[in-house]
Amino acid sequence: MLTRYLKLYYLFCKQNLKVMMEYRMDFLLGVLSVMLQQFAGIFFVKIVFDHIHQLNGWTFYEILFIYGIAATGRSIHHIFFDNLWTLGWQYIRPGKFDRLLIRPINPLFHFIADRLQQDGFGQLFIGIIVISTAMPHLDISWGVLEFFILIVMIIASGFIFVAINLFFATLSFWMVDSLPIVWTIFNLSDFARYPLTIYHKGIRHLLTWIIPYGFTAFYPAAYFIEGSGFQKLALLTPVVAIVSCVVAYWFWNKGLKAFTSTGS
Amino acid sequence: MRKYIEFARVQMQVHAAYSAWFWANTFSVLLRMLVIYFFWKAVYSSRTEIEGLPFDSMITYIIIAMFLQMFVSGVGRELAHTIKDGNVAIELMRPYHLITRLIAMDIGDKIIHFIRGALPLGILAFIFMDITLPTTWQGGLLFLLSALMGIWIGTFFDLLIAILAFWTINLWGLEVMKEAVISFFSGALVPLILFPEWFQTVSLFLPFQAMVYVPVAIYTGILTGTEAWLALGSQVFWAVLLFVLLRVLWSIAIKKVTIFGG
Repeated sequence: MLTRYLKLYYLFCKQNLKVMMEYRMDFLLGVLSVMLQQFAGIFFVKIVFDHIHQLNGWTFYEILFIYGIAATGRSIHHIFFDNLWTLGWQYIRPGKFDRLLIRPINPLFHFIADRLQQDGFGQLFIGIIVISTAMPHLDISWGVLEFFILIVMIIASGFIFVAINLFFATLSFWMVDSLPIVWTIFNLSDFARYPLTIYHKGIRHLLTWIIPYGFTAFYPAAYFIEGSGFQKLALLTPVVAIVSCVVAYWFWNKGLKAFTSTGS
Repeated sequence: MRKYIEFARVQMQVHAAYSAWFWANTFSVLLRMLVIYFFWKAVYSSRTEIEGLPFDSMITYIIIAMFLQMFVSGVGRELAHTIKDGNVAIELMRPYHLITRLIAMDIGDKIIHFIRGALPLGILAFIFMDITLPTTWQGGLLFLLSALMGIWIGTFFDLLIAILAFWTINLWGLEVMKEAVISFFSGALVPLILFPEWFQTVSLFLPFQAMVYVPVAIYTGILTGTEAWLALGSQVFWAVLLFVLLRVLWSIAIKKVTIFGG
């Protein structure tokens, strides 16, 4: 069962890669554009820190580290799960989703595997560069264990992005296209780029317990920052990721059941 | 002329039909204002001014710049998609100038955006976020003039970039790249006076600062007197140059369409 899906995913990827290679200029343009976009955000932080030394007790490299984890986690979402954005307007509205339903594989798998988003690689590069720039400046000695935890945290961060998008994309089964909602909720992740301690309590709780974007960047990063006061909470990151995915998948299945194509 | 006004009017009605996007936009802008507010509050928690700007000037600059940035891009996306799906060939046969039609639609779009989006949100910001009025009434008038110029420059730049859709299919990448460059160089994120010297010099020779920085700097009193008038002069220069460039590039690109047609 699992090997069959892995093999299928490989085949899907191969097709996607062929498309990518066909349009090489566009591949470069996509990667470059995302890198530039991320770079603009980092440059902004740098400019601000040219004039201040600390943001609410957080140093430049600590902020950079948070930023890097957010970018890398998001890149997992961007490269492999980008199709989630298109559920409403490219599948359900034109009636293409029915096509997936008659195939002998899990429709969610098919839907996700339908696209590999090359543009996300730019995000990945920038994320890794930013993290490795910030790492030596943190008050922590990097051993094998720390690296392992960092990778787990980043993967968990990516899957939290995925789960949240999946959850709200699923609303499309009832309302045809939920993109405005998905997009609005996604914008909440902007909060997570900075230490959550600078925000009002209400916002902090919202981003921790209801829409857990806090666990996509700030909490995982805080684990590695001595005296941040969030090290225990940070350990919850993988748990939050698993719970979010389970809830989102449950909701997806519910949506699937309720789904009647646009034609009927 | 009448037909173009009609296009603008229809575009306004189209807008009213998509209320889900309207609320999504409104809510997203509110969120961004919140992030901005708390971020700068934290920045100013241990000081009273940065480069001579106290907190209320800074937050005024950032918020006004954010609003203005929403208006500097336009119908580029529309044009790019028309090109990509080939409809441009049909559009070219219709009894109007495609670019002029798009600009008319854009004007309609922006008017309705201003009334339904920017205005109420702006009033909210004034009430809750320590935003100040322009320092002088001349400054206020000059700001209006300069902001219109900035929007004009942004619109033409947007269309100019969209024409590149004749050569690439990655429209999303094109758009993201354009947005990144604009927020980078236009001063939409922070006042350009906070940037390093060399960066300020570079951006002086680019059209981007004319889109956002110049009008908002006039509003907040960073640019006054002769400096403000000089900046306005450079806006006129860019507006004319981009207008001409757009016409030239468009006529080159159109030839490509006929080549595609065989």
